[in-house]
Amino acid sequence: MKRILAVDDSTSVRQMVNFTLGKAGYEVVEAVDGKDGLAKITGGKFDAIITDLNMPNMDGIQMINAVRKVPGYAFVPILMLTTESQAEKKDEGRKAGATGWIVKPFNADQLISVIQKLVK
Amino acid sequence: MTTETRTEAIGILGKSKGELQLISADTETQVRSVSMTFRDLAGDADAILNLAGSIVGCVENENVSSILPKVQTLSNTARQFIGERLQAITGILEMVAVEAKVLHELSLVTGQQAEIALKTKALSVLTNVEVAHLGAVGMGFQYLAHELAEFSKSLMEDAQALESHTSAQKIAIEETRRVLSVELPRSRENLARIEAGLDNDLASLESSLIRLSSTPAQFRMGVEDIAQQIAGVVSAIQSHDITRQQIEHVQAAFDLISEKVRGHENSAQAANGELSQAYAGLTIQIYQLRSIKVTVESWTSQIKSCMGGIFRVSASELVGIGPLVLEQERQVSSQLAHIEMLERESLAYSARIQRTLQGVSSLMQFVGEYVQRSNSIRDRLRLLSFNSIIEASHLGIQAGAVLAIAKTIKEISVEWSKITERSGLAMEEVQALVRQTNKTMEAFSGASDEKLEQAQSQTRGGLDNLRTAAAFAAKQSQEMEAITGKMQSRSTEVANSDGLLDACSNRIDAILAQLESVRNDWEADRPDVKRGYDPTEVTQLFAESYSTEMERDVLRAALRGEPLPVAQQNLQGNSAELF
Repeated sequence: MKRILAVDDSTSVRQMVNFTLGKAGYEVVEAVDGKDGLAKITGGKFDAIITDLNMPNMDGIQMINAVRKVPGYAFVPILMLTTESQAEKKDEGRKAGATGWIVKPFNADQLISVIQKLVK
Repeated sequence: MTTETRTEAIGILGKSKGELQLISADTETQVRSVSMTFRDLAGDADAILNLAGSIVGCVENENVSSILPKVQTLSNTARQFIGERLQAITGILEMVAVEAKVLHELSLVTGQQAEIALKTKALSVLTNVEVAHLGAVGMGFQYLAHELAEFSKSLMEDAQALESHTSAQKIAIEETRRVLSVELPRSRENLARIEAGLDNDLASLESSLIRLSSTPAQFRMGVEDIAQQIAGVVSAIQSHDITRQQIEHVQAAFDLISEKVRGHENSAQAANGELSQAYAGLTIQIYQLRSIKVTVESWTSQIKSCMGGIFRVSASELVGIGPLVLEQERQVSSQLAHIEMLERESLAYSARIQRTLQGVSSLMQFVGEYVQRSNSIRDRLRLLSFNSIIEASHLGIQAGAVLAIAKTIKEISVEWSKITERSGLAMEEVQALVRQTNKTMEAFSGASDEKLEQAQSQTRGGLDNLRTAAAFAAKQSQEMEAITGKMQSRSTEVANSDGLLDACSNRIDAILAQLESVRNDWEADRPDVKRGYDPTEVTQLFAESYSTEMERDVLRAALRGEPLPVAQQNLQGNSAELF
């Protein structure tokens, strides 16, 4: 079973990612912020990461920068799931190493479809 | 601005911040609870979809939709069967009337035959007397006397046999006529009732089969509908997170505004600019809170509506598929029960009609033999009359009396010929009756029964399949109902959360009222407060932390004094943009 890491300080968003991808047959592990996410990444293998941008302790961009340095995670797909839709922010995310961008709220079918595409 | 006004404003801002904190925490708790319930509800909906899907699959596997043409054929055959029998029963009543008429005719013939028998007997006696009178010369007439005696005896026996047969048949016919006259209207009524029952069954069967044939499409629609409602809830629950962030931004802005108000207190020179910035910031937050209120109402209503939608589709439309199959089974069974009743009704008539028809056949046989014998008697009478006349002519004057007897025999022969003719006519009528009878018999023949049986057998085959599907549907429906019960209690839980979320709207209204009052006080105290700030500076000051386009749009509208922008609620959520 493919493993997905969902990083968001909002419990309800994490629950929805877990519910949506869980129904589609993925194992979803939740992390409450970037720091927690990074700790979970170093402790296990994930096939894709979905992360929020604005979070306490460590934000999404900082986490992506750190994740890309973790051995085996240079090419793991990372989707930003955020309320931000500004082009500058997206560009910042792309430069940090994000694979894609979803403005909250996500469409359940679209999320499944893009994850299926990314973790083939 | 007085110290008191400033203190009051700072107090209200602090209190509002605290209340927003509570609202945020409360909505977080409620949304978390809704989210849990939603996961369970979605799981229940999934289970119902699986059960409904298996019923639809079973209905398709058992080829249930093919049952309608079979039942239609059965119904048409049964209707034809009823029509033929009704016509036959009417025909039989007419036939019985004709038979009664023929029997009456035969009774008349019997009476005449008895008279002739007596006459012949008298002639035989007279001939014997004459033979004795003539002596040796009249010995040739002894044979005539003997023949006449034999004829008389034979005619009498025939007349008695015919009389006895026609009397017995008359009684049977009268009884049949009486019974059929009473039973025919009842039978018509029964058959008409059965026919109407068949029509009603067929109509409702047709309608429910049409509904049943639409179940796969209905099921697919249900699946799509539920998927859409689930997507709606997933999206609405996430919207709560956006609201949470917006509330955090408003709270941070309250701190900033409080600082500005305090700054106004500390520095007299910068007083105007600081207060104007605080005023602009307060206006922006009032707009933001109004926008937040609309957004909360929007996603709360979406959660309510989509959760309701999941329950509605699962609990009524999909659960309804099972009972529909059961209803089908009941209707086809009822149709077959009606046909069986029809068969029993028909069987009861068949026995009576068979007896009537057998009576007619036996009458025909008897009359046929009788007519044959009559013909033979007529021929012998003619011969006897001819011989006696010739013999009497030979004897000349001596045989005057014998000649008279011979003439009487001739008369009897003519009379007998007439009787024979009447009997022949009666015979023809009986033959016509028999032909009619045979035709009537066709309605009650095996071929007609066979057609009905064949249609019944095909329907029974279809019914067996339907029963399999119905038994399966009954089992699945039970499970579905149990799940629906669980969903019902989950819906009650959601309704409680919805109530608490709805209350947030009133709490935001209360905060807004206080903030608007502060703003009005400022405007009253310093009318130029509205114009003393730089919009670009204010934007930089308050929009720095904004993360949504909506917040930015609201800020612009607030600074320009425009109406609140309408939030474009994305019911289905956004798609991904891959780099």
